[in-house]
Order: sequence, then structure tokens, then C-alpha cells
Amino acid sequence: MLVLARRTNESIMIGDDIEIVVIDIKGDQVKLGIKAPKKVTVHRKEIFDEIKQENIAAISTPFKPDTLRDLSDFFKKK
Amino acid sequence: MLEKRGASLTMTINTKQFGSIDIDESEIISFPDGLFGFESLKKFTLIEEPDSPMMWLQSCSESDLAFVILRVVDFMKEYDLSISQSDLESVGTEDPSELDVFAIVTIPLENPSEMTANLMGPVIINMKDKKGRQVISLCDKYKTKHRVLDELQAKTGA
Repeated sequence: MLVLARRTNESIMIGDDIEIVVIDIKGDQVKLGIKAPKKVTVHRKEIFDEIKQENIAAISTPFKPDTLRDLSDFFKKK
Repeated sequence: MLEKRGASLTMTINTKQFGSIDIDESEIISFPDGLFGFESLKKFTLIEEPDSPMMWLQSCSESDLAFVILRVVDFMKEYDLSISQSDLESVGTEDPSELDVFAIVTIPLENPSEMTANLMGPVIINMKDKKGRQVISLCDKYKTKHRVLDELQAKTGA
């Protein structure tokens, strides 16, 4: 991993069109500004981890074969 | 195993719920980036649960890896598909209305009716091009666990 020291208002470039600016530093929190082309998606890493955990939870439950049939009844028009 | 039978290619896959089944090559949906946590799984097929809106997103290579999914329109009054342009482009469209949108369902063993849907990471599929992707909703209100029966109740107004 590349490690760079930066001060407030300094930035780094990733490739030639993504810029990450250190906007503010307070205690253990850093506020970052990200300038990137619209096609580049930016998310907090926790979001990725949360979805990954939920995917794992979804396939981990060994529910009984009848379960889906029972659950399907809830969708039938009353 | 891909086998040519007549004009179309048929593949036998082992499924979690239905044992070994034959599917047509045209029923294979490619997920170039896999799913979160399952990046190596690139090919899935959709298997409908008989007489039910519930479906299986079954991996074509790993029989145990099958997710129960629901179309969001089948249990939600409305779902705001707010996703990035690059996510749209990655399934080969710029028009969200061309997509089928699904949520992966988690069913608790002890109390199945408490099943939840992951609306933060919906699965979008372009059925025309057979291309799918799990995406991240840009809408803060969607979390990984929404009680399906609550949403269904809101939808049917019961």
C-alpha cells in the first residue's frame, strides 16, 4: 500500500482524472473531497462490507424445503 | 457441461433446491463482477419457485450457492432505483426501465416470516442482454434488512 502524508487543502491524484482533497482534519476524523468523472462510483467501504455480509447471511440459512411454499402464501391476494 | 442438442445449447446444472436440471444457454445470465463477497461467480440462472413470486438466483457453477430473490415490484409499493451511471452502463443500458430489479431475501431459520430484503444492494438484470449486476443504492433510506411482510402490507394496504 502506498502511504502519503497530506495537509489540509492538499490533494492526491489517482490516474489523471480523480482528485482526492483533504478538506478538514478534526481529531481522528478527516473530511475528504472527491472529484471524479461521473462514471466513477464512490462509496464508503462499510457499505460494501454490509452488502457482502448480508449476501453471506442470505445463503447461510438452511431453511426447510417447505419454507418457501409457506412464505409464498403471504403474497397471494387476500 | 455444455452440450449441443438440436439448434440450441443446453447445460446441465446442479441446483440447491431442484437437484440437477437442464437449462438452455439463453437462460444463463452473466454477472461479470459476481456478487459482493462472491466475486468469482460469474454465471447465474433464474429459477422460479412454483406458484410463487419467489425465485432463486442460482449459480451455474456452485450448486449450493443460490439466493432467494424477489422482484421489488412484487412486494413494494414503490422502489426508487437510484444507482450510478456506470452501474447502468455495466449491464448494457442507459434506461433503468429496461431493467428487472430484484432484492436478495434473507430468511431466518427459526422464524421465516421475519424474512428481510436487501434493498441497499439490489440485483439488476438486463433480460434482453442477459447481463446482471449487484449494485449499491444511492438512496440513503434503503438498508440491507427490510421486513418483506411490512413492505407487502404497505403495498396491499391491508
